[in-house]
Amino acid sequence: MRRVGGSRRGLDMWLMQRASSIYMALFMPLFAIYVLAAPSLDYAGWRALFMPLGMKVAVLLCVLAVLLHAWIGLREIFIDYLHCARCLALRLFSYFAFATLYLACLVWTVDILWSVK
Amino acid sequence: MPAQMRFRVYRYDPESGAKPWMRDYAIEFEPKGKKVLDALIAIKDTLDESLSFRRSCREGVCGSDGVNVNGRNVLACVTPLEGLAQPIEIRPLPRLGVVRDLIVDMEQFYRHYRAVKPYLVNLDPEPENERPQSPAERAELDGLWECILCGCCTTSCPSFWWNPDKFLGPAALLQGYRFIADSRDQATDERLDFLEDPYRLFRCHGIMNCVEVCPKGLNPTAAIGKIKSLLVKRAF
Repeated sequence: MRRVGGSRRGLDMWLMQRASSIYMALFMPLFAIYVLAAPSLDYAGWRALFMPLGMKVAVLLCVLAVLLHAWIGLREIFIDYLHCARCLALRLFSYFAFATLYLACLVWTVDILWSVK
Repeated sequence: MPAQMRFRVYRYDPESGAKPWMRDYAIEFEPKGKKVLDALIAIKDTLDESLSFRRSCREGVCGSDGVNVNGRNVLACVTPLEGLAQPIEIRPLPRLGVVRDLIVDMEQFYRHYRAVKPYLVNLDPEPENERPQSPAERAELDGLWECILCGCCTTSCPSFWWNPDKFLGPAALLQGYRFIADSRDQATDERLDFLEDPYRLFRCHGIMNCVEVCPKGLNPTAAIGKIKSLLVKRAF
């Protein structure tokens, strides 16, 4: 069989994993401090926290970063551990299944965040 | 009176048809100032002449006696016996096929090494004397050229264990970077093209077992990081 060449891929995924981890590392501690410093965590306080558009967007980006990071990490795990004669199909199915699941989570997050009015 | 030392050594003889097994040896041997290879040679000389292992320079230069001692990949010739927990368990380097006892089949390892074209590619007319480098350019190669291809790093890398046929492994990637970093080389782009692949390069997850075990104190993870940086520079 002909030997296949390099795929010229992998860099984008690696960079996205790095970028998403930087966003999470910056946003999550800030968010935690912000929430802990909030005077009260009753419904009114929680609502006031998520009312500004900026907060909605920042949280949505964080969820996006988590999902992207998780999906790339899962892809790495599939590539590392799923190999057998028929595993290509299993790997591809897993990629797409988790991509679908995570996209659904993202849409759901939008729905939750923008339901705060 | 020398102390008695206990060893447990991996044995495999493909011609016998038997499965690999661990054989125990007890030998009167003074460990002070001696290395693991000295003990292996003593065992072969006095207890069991059928024990097979590779060795050549016996001073950490040729890289032929890479073995796994008490769970750690080392060069037997530069690993002191003192301080090792007994029985000292000696096995072949992990994940490579075993030819016999401690002798492994390095073909896969060398195939990855060949794949990175470990030689200077320079299409300029050959100069009369040499291709000069500035001291700074030469210093770029330090920490790269010292690799002796013993295979300790690559065979300690979990990414190599999972994808030995596709992931180049730390040794080949370090060598790949050695020629990318060389100011006299003209094939950087082709080299980066070859390496930019989810398997060949990007199976490295920065586990750093390679750095942990390298008997020459080299840092393949740093070299891999530099390859990634160059890929980023090229792409953006």
